[in-house]
Amino acid sequence: MAEDTLPGEVIVAPVSDADDVLRVEHIAKSFGPVTALRDVSLHLKKGEVLGLLGDNGAGKSTLIKTICGFQKQDSGAMWLKGEPYEPRSVDHARSLGVDVVYQDLALIDELSVYQNMFLCREERVARLPFLDRRSMKKEARAALDEIGIHLPRLDVPVARLSGGQRQSIAVARGVYSDADILLLDEPLAAMGAKEGAMILELIARLKKEGKLSMIMILHNYVHVLESCDRVNMIVDGVITFDKPAAETSLEELTEIVVDEYRRARAAANAEEVAEAAEAAVLDPE
Amino acid sequence: MSGSDDESPVAASAGGPAHERRAPRTAVAPLTLIRQVLTTREGSIVVITVALTVYFSLSLSVFFTTSNFENLLPYFAPYAMLAAGEVFLMINGEIDLSIGGCYLFAPLMFYEFHGGGIPLIPCVILALIVCMGIGVFNGFVTAVLGVNSFITTLGTLFTLEGLTLIVSHAEQLEMPGAQVTTNSTGNHITSFASAFGAGTYSELFWALGIVLVMQVALTRTRWGLHTIAVGSNRIAAAEAGVKVRAVLIRNFVVCSTLAGFVGILEAVRSNSITPDPGAANSVLLDAIAAAVIGGTLLAGGSGTVVGAMIGALFLGVLQDGLAIKGVNADYLDFYLGVAILVAMLINRYVGRVRRRSGLG
Repeated sequence: MAEDTLPGEVIVAPVSDADDVLRVEHIAKSFGPVTALRDVSLHLKKGEVLGLLGDNGAGKSTLIKTICGFQKQDSGAMWLKGEPYEPRSVDHARSLGVDVVYQDLALIDELSVYQNMFLCREERVARLPFLDRRSMKKEARAALDEIGIHLPRLDVPVARLSGGQRQSIAVARGVYSDADILLLDEPLAAMGAKEGAMILELIARLKKEGKLSMIMILHNYVHVLESCDRVNMIVDGVITFDKPAAETSLEELTEIVVDEYRRARAAANAEEVAEAAEAAVLDPE
Repeated sequence: MSGSDDESPVAASAGGPAHERRAPRTAVAPLTLIRQVLTTREGSIVVITVALTVYFSLSLSVFFTTSNFENLLPYFAPYAMLAAGEVFLMINGEIDLSIGGCYLFAPLMFYEFHGGGIPLIPCVILALIVCMGIGVFNGFVTAVLGVNSFITTLGTLFTLEGLTLIVSHAEQLEMPGAQVTTNSTGNHITSFASAFGAGTYSELFWALGIVLVMQVALTRTRWGLHTIAVGSNRIAAAEAGVKVRAVLIRNFVVCSTLAGFVGILEAVRSNSITPDPGAANSVLLDAIAAAVIGGTLLAGGSGTVVGAMIGALFLGVLQDGLAIKGVNADYLDFYLGVAILVAMLINRYVGRVRRRSGLG
């Protein structure tokens, strides 16, 4: 556990269940002098949708990028379906069934819709090194149709699409990648209400099917309460809140965030006072 | 390509009825077809090259002849091969200047290995392995240590050119296996020589083969797709799982190896190893010019091997035509420079038209 707990902060201890597909224990990660994750523990049950809330810079995306194999934690361990989980790369994590939809979407502007959807899991003609473009296009079309996104052509570069269309392509890429754990970093950020509703509907459908377990970062609390089974909140690199969505409310979540602001302001004030005092000591007129 | 300045007409049709999405593409008006050809990446350079050929053919009776075509080949084939490798790196957003060094150094390595009693073909292979090593070095320093590839390969270029001068004592050497024997039936070369550069169409066949393989690799394989991904958006490519460093190193290796191979072909063709860094530097710059004229952007993200080949053909036609016309050799570089600038401007304009028309 982190020794440097902030005043008034409660760190939620890791709870584990027998049917956890993913367990993250005491993960810490720094980038030079910046500590992104201090001590994060969480767990994800099979078929569960876990909503991850937190302020900008709280460490949400860092956590997602650690679980998906894009970067390595400094300390702490992860378990996948009971086995130690140490992803060497995004590709490796994907081969173990963990896929991700990044906040920045990770789309290649110059590549077409279907090329982006199959990037790094390209289909090939028989065992030849040649790409099976027809089959990839067909599957991409089927996946997008299922979500309800209609694009006139799949061989145009994604640079030519709207923000919402790009995001649906990124989501479709994650959802239809045969993963059984999907990490979604703000999947609705660039979407209008109509497209957002489509994605939420897709997530509800996947939840009903129960094969896919998801960790989803969302900003809209209504969406969180609607789509998620459980809610975790991450503050300054630690998880401070863990409750089933049914047992919490819009009011409670809002209250927590307001509280956090209050605490942050108080801390800033205290710092100012301390600085002023220090200045007074150093420079006593 | 990734310009976001103009809005696309295709972008606006989310949620359209299904039958609209699969509009039949058979009824294309001729004008549209012409526009489509012109707005492909290679379109503009094809038109310019054809126009230049027509001009020279009409104004020079000897231009459109087989024997002149044979004269033109050395101005064209080597650059097409060098540019094929360079295009991959330029799509990555990198550049390899050391192809001039490999071009110069590989034949000398071939000579040294042969001097050690190794047969001709294994000598070619060993010299190419040395070039692969150079590519691995360039790739490692650029992709892993993070040195700008312009600097890395500038260093390798001078190092290799210097090494060539040191090892050869700056003296011209005879290329092993390329000697010409003359008897009553005329001049004869070995089958090795005729396969590796000295045969009339040898370099042309190599060039066409290599361009074909590289173009297919670029457009139809995982390697090509990942090359474009790395050049277009390195972070996104890494996030999606592309092994960025491996892609870069591989492309540096291919580029160096092709350059070494072209160096050997040219040494066999001319039956000599000429340790002249000045000539090698000019070969290097012409190859980059061919790639740029052919429609590959230095900024990365897009490019075409076939375009680079046509760019090389354009340079060949220009040099050959001007030479036959008796234009003072001093003017060649001037025309070459103007041609590059004009081709770039046209490519930019065509790119804008392409974006507007939604053809991607």
